[in-house]
Amino acid sequence: MPSEALAGSLAPAVKARRRPLAHLLMQNAPVLLSLLMLAVSLFLYVAIFLATQHHLPGGFEITTTVNNTMPLAAAAAGQSLVVLTRGIDLSVGGIIDMSNAIAAVTLQDSAGSMILATMMILLIGAAAGLVNGLLVAVGRLQPILVTLATLSIYQGIAIRILPQPGGSIPQSYTAILANTNGPWSLVYVVLLCALWWAFRRSGLGVAILAIGNDPVAASSNGINVLRARIMAYVLAGILAAAGGLFLAASATGGDATTGDSFTLRSIVAIVLGGVSLFGGRGSAIGGVIGAFIITMIVNLLFFAHVNQLYESFFEGVFLLIAVVAASGIGYLARRRA
Amino acid sequence: MSGMVWPWFTVGRRRVLYACGAAILLFAIGNLLRPGFAGLSSIEAVLVVASFVGLVAAGQTFVILIGGIDLSVPWILNAAAILLVTSSLGENVRAPYAVLLTLGMGTLAGMVNGLGIALLGVPAVVMTLAMNGIVQGLTLGLSGGLTCGACASYAPPLIQQAVHDRLLGIPMELYLWLAVILLVSFVLSFTVFGRTTYAVGTNPRASYLAGLNVSAVTVTLYALSGLCSALAGIMLVGFGGQASLGMGDPYLFQSIAAVVIGGVYILGGRGHYIGAAAGAVTLVTLVSVLLTMNMPEYGRSITYGVIILLLLLLYGREEAGS
Repeated sequence: MPSEALAGSLAPAVKARRRPLAHLLMQNAPVLLSLLMLAVSLFLYVAIFLATQHHLPGGFEITTTVNNTMPLAAAAAGQSLVVLTRGIDLSVGGIIDMSNAIAAVTLQDSAGSMILATMMILLIGAAAGLVNGLLVAVGRLQPILVTLATLSIYQGIAIRILPQPGGSIPQSYTAILANTNGPWSLVYVVLLCALWWAFRRSGLGVAILAIGNDPVAASSNGINVLRARIMAYVLAGILAAAGGLFLAASATGGDATTGDSFTLRSIVAIVLGGVSLFGGRGSAIGGVIGAFIITMIVNLLFFAHVNQLYESFFEGVFLLIAVVAASGIGYLARRRA
Repeated sequence: MSGMVWPWFTVGRRRVLYACGAAILLFAIGNLLRPGFAGLSSIEAVLVVASFVGLVAAGQTFVILIGGIDLSVPWILNAAAILLVTSSLGENVRAPYAVLLTLGMGTLAGMVNGLGIALLGVPAVVMTLAMNGIVQGLTLGLSGGLTCGACASYAPPLIQQAVHDRLLGIPMELYLWLAVILLVSFVLSFTVFGRTTYAVGTNPRASYLAGLNVSAVTVTLYALSGLCSALAGIMLVGFGGQASLGMGDPYLFQSIAAVVIGGVYILGGRGHYIGAAAGAVTLVTLVSVLLTMNMPEYGRSITYGVIILLLLLLYGREEAGS
């Protein structure tokens, strides 16, 4: 998605064809819709928080919200890259498990060890993504089947590394990735969005969006479809591994199975964030927004004293509402245009 | 090529034979590792476990044949098992009503899936994923996380017998599966509905233009998938006696894997349920062989994934060549 500033400067050029504001709104409808959902859920959350706790949510609430969302935000950003190429990555949960388990057994309380282990874990995530990408792109296999199989493999490896929940994450590592004293993790949210902003304008970013829109046309225009597709999975692997690190840091320990739920949640997040499952439309920022919407819904249900057992019911309902609303708005927009 | 020499020996039929061959080969390997593995009682045990996967795979075959997928299997199955025990309270008198109620619940959930996909245009992955969450939340919430008084009930003896009792030395469960195999194969191959299913899977747009009611077929197939999951839930609770949380989880991966091993084309339009049934047997045999080798859980998980990948690569090559 072009940033507001860039779209604004381009606006005069398209003025002749359509009113700039209408054009801008229509171009960014999915992200705007997910921002609206985030705003609504945030508003409801603050209202319910105020009604039940009799004060506004403060620094502590913001800090825990951001820290709880970071693992999913990273995984969803990765998932969005793959989905943009018309693929899907079900192995995200397995890669998070692996990264989480390795972090728990290797991290030592020294700067050198932490940097080395972090690099190694991100590289392992890249390798796991590379396997997915090669099988999908070179092996010409269905992404959903390949990643279902590799999910099983990566989960197995994670359990081999850390059979029982345990290990420990140094406090200083937690302080860097999931600081509990202040919402410092917002830096990573901004970083993710900035990275997407730059990536979107790089050759690879354009290639990924292009092959999602029309692989044949992209290929005829000289885009290396094979490379772009593989790289999407590699980047998704790296981001999932980063998600595993955030998860380990905020849990201050390792567990080789907590990542499992992230496969489905990352898909829910990108759909809430306006990424089209048919590829070519959407952004990693949408995935990050979607992750925050999920956290807000969970917070909302908690403070509304809804039985936690009903949580997945509401997640399912919100997911459907989001998808139906997005396609309804798209339909109306097309009819008017 | 070979298709010219033996017109009957099509790609689809060849894959069904591969799946059957793989199951037999695995039994042979198991017998080498542990003599007696291919004995009658052991084969019977494998087939009974495979029948649960096979029932779910029947529904998965239906929706994959039109290029869809059903991710709501785990919790429709689990909800069915819990609904059966809580509505029957382990009494035979209540069993028929409980079975109807449970099958109705599964069919309804599947129908809603189909309606969302066919009428609202929601992608199948999202629709069935959301349905899985909705059914999970309702099941957990209404049963208080399986802590309700009736939740600890056993399945009615009638249903337990329907799974365990033997007729001519063969468990009743296997007759049921055989009936499902025959019925599904007949419906898909010899009825207008079956031909319509293949047509929609091959090209939904052309089918629509040819006057086929694509929406009605889609809704029916997803409803059937829900019905199959609920039936598997009933049989599984009859087999184990009691319901538990998470009992449906393994069946998503296994049903999709069975369908793929059985040579059903994941994008729709091609494949037979008999292949998926053979795929279910192959899969369960594989797990038994790995258990025989005393392979720990992580090793089974890894081997599982690797074997599926190898099978996919085998089939993928054929796809590229033709």
